[in-house]
Amino acid sequence: MERRDFFKKAIAVAGSAAIGGTAAEAGETVHPVDNRKVSDIAFPQKRPLITYSDRPPLLETPREVFTSALTPNDLFFVRWHMPMIPTYINPRTFFININGLVENEIKISLEELKTAFEQVELTAVLQCGGNSRTAFKPTASGIQWGVGAMGCARWKGVRLKDVLKKAGLKNEAAWISFNGEDKAVYNETANFVRELKLEDLNDDIILAYEMNGEELPYLNGYPLRLIIPGLYSDSWIKMISNITVTKEKQKLHFMDHAYRVPDNECECETPENLVQKTKPIEEMNVNSIIGYPSTGSKVRNASDLIVRGVAFDGGHGIKKVQISIDGGKIWEDARLDDGTQGRYAYRSFTYTFKPKKSGKLTIMCKATNEKGEEQPFAKDIKWNHGGYKYNGIDEVTIEVV
Amino acid sequence: MTSLTKSILILLFMSTTLFAESDSGITIPYVDFPMKEGKGMYSTKGKCNMCHSFGYVINQGLQSKKFWREKVIKMIVIFKAPIKSEEDIETVTNYLFEHYGNGELE
Ligand code: HEC
Repeated sequence: MERRDFFKKAIAVAGSAAIGGTAAEAGETVHPVDNRKVSDIAFPQKRPLITYSDRPPLLETPREVFTSALTPNDLFFVRWHMPMIPTYINPRTFFININGLVENEIKISLEELKTAFEQVELTAVLQCGGNSRTAFKPTASGIQWGVGAMGCARWKGVRLKDVLKKAGLKNEAAWISFNGEDKAVYNETANFVRELKLEDLNDDIILAYEMNGEELPYLNGYPLRLIIPGLYSDSWIKMISNITVTKEKQKLHFMDHAYRVPDNECECETPENLVQKTKPIEEMNVNSIIGYPSTGSKVRNASDLIVRGVAFDGGHGIKKVQISIDGGKIWEDARLDDGTQGRYAYRSFTYTFKPKKSGKLTIMCKATNEKGEEQPFAKDIKWNHGGYKYNGIDEVTIEVV
Repeated sequence: MTSLTKSILILLFMSTTLFAESDSGITIPYVDFPMKEGKGMYSTKGKCNMCHSFGYVINQGLQSKKFWREKVIKMIVIFKAPIKSEEDIETVTNYLFEHYGNGELE
């Protein structure tokens, strides 16, 4: 059996020399896996979601949820790195520690956060850098997400800047590292620690204790998590309990190896020629998803169909969302919501039309941001080994009856 | 109802729900990710289900032998999985490739 496969492989390689690389050899992208079913087991404070693991919990939001501008807490996706997560936190004894290069090492209670600092609220999209990773062929390392490793919520908390000011930063301070209460099972495994350059600190980065007007669900980081609007969520530490200020960047697996893309113009590479120089994934690409209908939906011929979805980017703001029902040749503007939730939030959109003939029909959506960046077709996205930053034009195929 | 009493009621409602939620912890359900029976299953179970569920492993889909081997090595090098011998690496790789393989060596 292995011999036969070896042959198949040898033929593929020989062929690629002639035609300049087979698709699989070169690395390609397709539409991410769609329509996975939710599990029949609901996790605490959640409705049933697409479930990849219980330890640590890895839960994906189904496509149907992306019809509204805010994602309900109980439908919000879940991603932990370390499997040992506290299942009870006493809000009255919880503290966040600020230490390292500060004038005063301090502990701040939840109560103090809520009363002694200016309270701020903002709406922001939380999206895993590996959302839609199933688009990448060959398989990129990491969780094999469909389109649902994202959500948008209204966050309430205090500015990170204000908390650091309270402790007083020393002159040499240059890096801030964050750690949460989740722990590795094995004591030699490094914890999930992330860092931020002090110069990247801005007023929109907050420590949030509220999500859509409620406490954070445990699985989304109760009682406190870091919110970094516009950036992928790799540093949005959950159950955050420690902040350390340092002069030098620390050596950390999750900073130095994970969540990085090739440091070149296309942020791309090929499986057999990985780029050595990498950079953090950081700002989110412009993206949009159709929430309704979904692939397989049956709709009536010649009757109004309202396509609904959401669009967002890294904070420049969405300029337009367009819909195509002819495979991407003609694009028509969808109607955007009023945008009052701000530049880091989802813009929900609708597009109404009457299907004109029965049979299969593919609906595509494409967003363009204020910078003029627009989503590429799925096949035009370039491969990277971590499967990060996918933002191909979304599509669903329905049946008109 | 005046708008003032309305907002007081809303406030009351909100603060009670906020307290109610935080006073009890959660229980994370156990989800079974059954492993396919076969040579090396017990060894793989012991080694690969130690830090996370088997769901995390099979979520990668069917993969090549090289992919599985590299994954096992990543677990050892990066996360310090206590897998010491080349023989153990072989056993686990073979089990994963046999049952969760795509038929390709590379
Ligand atoms: C010492 C702890 C430990 C052991 C033992 C371990 N893993 Fe992991 N594994 C991890 C951690 C930690 C992650 C999560 C990394 C992250 O969140 O990015 C992980 C993630 C994964 C992933 C997800 C994809 C990826 O590349 O991160 C796969 C697949 C995986 N492990 C397979 C295995 C297999 C197969 C074994 C058995 C040889 C194994 N693991 C044993 C700690 C371990």
